[in-house]
Amino acid sequence: MSFTMTINGRRVTADEGETVLAVCQRVGVAVPTLCHHEAVEPFGSCRLCMIEVTKTAWKGWKGLMTACLYPAAPDLIIETDSERVRHVRRNVLDLLLARCPESEVIQELAAAHGVSQSSFTPRDNPDLCILCGLCVRVCESAVTAAIATVNRGHERMIGTPWGGPPPDCIGCTACAEVCPTGHITFDEQDGRRRIWGRELEMVRCQTCATPFITIAERDFLLANRHLDATYFAECPSCKRQKMAAKFAEVVHATHPGFVPRQLGAVPPPAPGAIKQRRATP
Amino acid sequence: MKRLIIRPTECVHCRNCELACSYYHAGAPTPVGPHVIEVRAVQSVPVPLTCLQCDDAACVRACPVEAITRDEGTHALVVNNRCIGCKACVYACPFGAMYFWDEAHTALKCDLCGGDPTCARFCPTDALTWA
Repeated sequence: MSFTMTINGRRVTADEGETVLAVCQRVGVAVPTLCHHEAVEPFGSCRLCMIEVTKTAWKGWKGLMTACLYPAAPDLIIETDSERVRHVRRNVLDLLLARCPESEVIQELAAAHGVSQSSFTPRDNPDLCILCGLCVRVCESAVTAAIATVNRGHERMIGTPWGGPPPDCIGCTACAEVCPTGHITFDEQDGRRRIWGRELEMVRCQTCATPFITIAERDFLLANRHLDATYFAECPSCKRQKMAAKFAEVVHATHPGFVPRQLGAVPPPAPGAIKQRRATP
Repeated sequence: MKRLIIRPTECVHCRNCELACSYYHAGAPTPVGPHVIEVRAVQSVPVPLTCLQCDDAACVRACPVEAITRDEGTHALVVNNRCIGCKACVYACPFGAMYFWDEAHTALKCDLCGGDPTCARFCPTDALTWA
């Protein structure tokens, strides 16, 4: 069932089940967000996508809501850039800047909203984590739930079971890829990948010996995704080479004595196809 | 139904397709930019390689978040914005036709440019045609 609502004075059509953020993104209204990802349920933890919501029937009452969690509804009137919205976003960025003063993503967002310096005392030994929990949600819903948020209040952090190397981690690095501030990092050396304090042995390509996937991730995919084990024998580049070889085999079989064409072998344009330059008087 | 036809016999290994692809998909026509078509020469045959748009595709099976779906119009498999960057599809593809775009943290594959492949338009010979 589709219906109409208003975003910044513009009439837009929305469907039931859509969130306000989804409608905004679909119609091209920019709403800043850090913790939103299409692959997981909305969570509303970064508080950046705050919007002002009202209806004519609400007699002037306006609520501040997170766009990622607020369901689209008929006759909603949304403001994504009102003075009140900008004010609350500045507050959110002020707090985020105190938490992660070294984060370039936060610095840029804050500068774009007119916050050059946090009015709060920056935290001691800051890192880049804004505690949005996107890594935890992605790992939980798509991979193995190897990490979680631990502790409460100001001691809350993204952690692993008992602070040690997570036994369930398969080293897919999806957490690092979705992290909005780049807090989660990993490194690879000598065919071993290190992430979350865990060291994972990698599969080496049987042709070129380049390590390309962790053994744990390969085994996880084979066990859960109905894939052929031979797909993981070679790295993507060698598989490409093999496919090209197959094409070449067919070419040599169908065209004995094949000689590849050269650019000069392209037939010259027909006479008159290219206009002669007129002689200047 | 139109298809992207690859004719290695016509290819001159100019790699225009790679540039056109990276310009279309990443807005940057550099040879090192993300492109999903690649010309590989084997036994003196230059072969422009790209996704074969398999029916029962390994990338679709490998994806944990259903980020690769079939486009109704072009019948191409397309990566949507649900991609979490686990690269399972990149390693699962038996033809190595899946790419990963590091800067955008997303998998990248041939989506036939929504029905008008840029590589075919920029191919100076008949090595790549959309017909």
